Amino acid sequence: MATAHHDEHPAGLMRWLTSTNHKDIGTLYLAFALIMLFVGGTMALVIRAELFEPGLQIVQPQFFNEMTTMHALIMIFGAIMPAFTGFANWQIPLMIGAPDMALPRLNNWSFWILPFAFTLLLSTLFLPAGGPAGGWTMYPPLSIQGTMGTDFTILAIHMMGISSVLGAINVIATILNMRAPGMTLLKMPMFVWTWLITAFLLLAVMPVLAGAVTMLLTDRHFGTHFFDASGGGDPVMFQHVFWFFGHPEVYILILPAFGIVSQIIPTFARKPLFGYESMVYATASIAFLSFIVWAHHMFTVGMPLAGEMFFMYSTMMIAVPTGVKVFNWTATMWKGSMTFETPMLFSIAFLMLFTIGGFSGLMLAIAPADFQYQDTYFVVAHFHYVLVSGALFAIIAGAYYWLPKWTGHMYSETLGKWHFWLSVIGFNLAFFPQHFLGLAGMPRRIPDYAVQFTQFNQMSSVGAFLFGFSQLLFVALVIQTVRGGKKATNKPWEGAEGLEWTVPSPAPYHTFATPPRIK
Amino acid sequence: MTQLPEHQRRAIVKTAVTLFAIAFVLFVFTLWRGVR
Repeated sequence: MATAHHDEHPAGLMRWLTSTNHKDIGTLYLAFALIMLFVGGTMALVIRAELFEPGLQIVQPQFFNEMTTMHALIMIFGAIMPAFTGFANWQIPLMIGAPDMALPRLNNWSFWILPFAFTLLLSTLFLPAGGPAGGWTMYPPLSIQGTMGTDFTILAIHMMGISSVLGAINVIATILNMRAPGMTLLKMPMFVWTWLITAFLLLAVMPVLAGAVTMLLTDRHFGTHFFDASGGGDPVMFQHVFWFFGHPEVYILILPAFGIVSQIIPTFARKPLFGYESMVYATASIAFLSFIVWAHHMFTVGMPLAGEMFFMYSTMMIAVPTGVKVFNWTATMWKGSMTFETPMLFSIAFLMLFTIGGFSGLMLAIAPADFQYQDTYFVVAHFHYVLVSGALFAIIAGAYYWLPKWTGHMYSETLGKWHFWLSVIGFNLAFFPQHFLGLAGMPRRIPDYAVQFTQFNQMSSVGAFLFGFSQLLFVALVIQTVRGGKKATNKPWEGAEGLEWTVPSPAPYHTFATPPRIK
Repeated sequence: MTQLPEHQRRAIVKTAVTLFAIAFVLFVFTLWRGVR
C-alpha cells in the first residue's frame, strides 16, 4: 500500500479553481452534475406539470418547447456525462494504481470549461426571443430559422465538445500509460475497461457533432447552404451527420454505467464477475456496432429499402453483446451470498429496468413498426428507461458504493433504502404509462394532447414529481455523509476487490506515489 | 504530485498528441463531407 506523504494544498476557492488533483476534480465534476441534475429535473417537472391535464395551463407552447430542448441538453451534457467523468477522475487512478491522471492541468481545464458552457446555454432563457426550442437534435430547417438562442447553444455545444474530447484524451492517456506494474489490460477492473472504450467513442464522435453544428452556424450566418434545401443543400444530411454522433453518444451514456454495475454486483454477490473477458469483448462489440446503426433514428425519413433493412438488422445485433452482459450479471448473482445494501438495490433495479428499455429499443428497431412509434411517447418511455433507470441509477449506485471511500464515512442505510424505493416507484409510475400513451398515438414534444390521454398523463406526472422530490433525500444523505457518520474502514464492503480498497478511507489527497505491484 | 519518469512523460505526450490529431482530422473530415 502506498499513500500520501504530504497532503497540503491551497485552501478555499483557490483549491477548487486551480486544483490539478484527480480527486478534487472528480468532486467538482460530481457536484456540477448534481446541480445540473436538479436544473434539468426542474425543467422536466415544468413539462410534467403542464401535461397533467389537456389544454394549456401553466406555460406558453414556445416556453414548453424550450423546456423540452434544454432538459435534454442539460441532462445529457450537464448531468450524466459529467457525473461519469467525475467517477472516472476519482476511480481510474485509484483502480489502476496511478498517482493521478496523466494530464492534470488539462484535467482542470476540461472541467472549468463546463460551468461557462452551461451558463451560456442557460442564459438563452433570458434572451428576448428565448432559448433554443427546436429539440436537442437541432434539426434544420427549424434550427436554421431559430433565434439567437440557437447560436448560443451552438457555441455552448462547441465548449462541451472540447471539454469532452480533452477529458477523453486524458482518460486514454492515463489508462494506456499509468497502470501499475503488472496490471495488464485484461487485469483492469471492468469500470476502467468501459471508460477506456467510452473515451474512444467520445474521441470519434464529438468532433463529428462539432462539425455538424459548425455547418449549422455557417448556414445561419455566413451564407452557406449545407442543410438549406432552398440553396441546394440537404436537411436530411444533418440528420445523418447528427446521428452518426448521436447513436454512439447513447453508448457514451451507458457503457460507464455497465462498468459501475460490473463492480458492484460481484461485491454484493461475493463472487467474481462471471465471464470477465466476454464482458470486455461485449463492451467493445457494442462500441463497434454503435457506429453502424445511426439511421434507425430516421427510418421515416424516406430511405431506400436496403438502407432500412441494413439499419434494422445491425440495430438488432446490438442485443447480442448486450444480452451477454445481462446474462453475465445474472450469472454473477447466481448462487452468490447476496446482500442488499443500497448500491446493490440500485444495481438490481438497473439490471431489470434497463433490460425493459433494451426490449422497447428492439421494438423500435423493427423498421415497419417504427413507422407507428416514431416521435411518440413510446420513444420517450424507451429512452428514459435506458437513461434514467440505466445511466442515472448506475450513477446513484456508484455514488453509494464509493461514498465511504470518498468521504471516510458510512452513509445512512435507512435513508438510502427510502431513497431507493421512492425512486423506483416514482420512476416506474412516471415512465411506464408513457409506453401506452405512445402506442395509443400521443406525439412527443407537445404541450397539449387529446383528452383520452389524460389518465396516463396524470399518473406520469404524479410519478415524475415523486421521483424528482425523492432525489432531495439523496442530497440530504450525501451532505450528511460528507459531514460525519460512522467511520468507514479501508474496505467497507466485505466482498469488494481492487486497489481502491487498499488505501485508507477517506482516500488521502495523494495516493500511489509509489506504484503498487500487481501479481 | 509524483514526478513521472522521463520515458513515461514522453509516452503520455505522444498518446495525447496523437489522439488530439485524430479528433482534429475527424472534425475537418466532417466539414469536408459537408462541402462535397
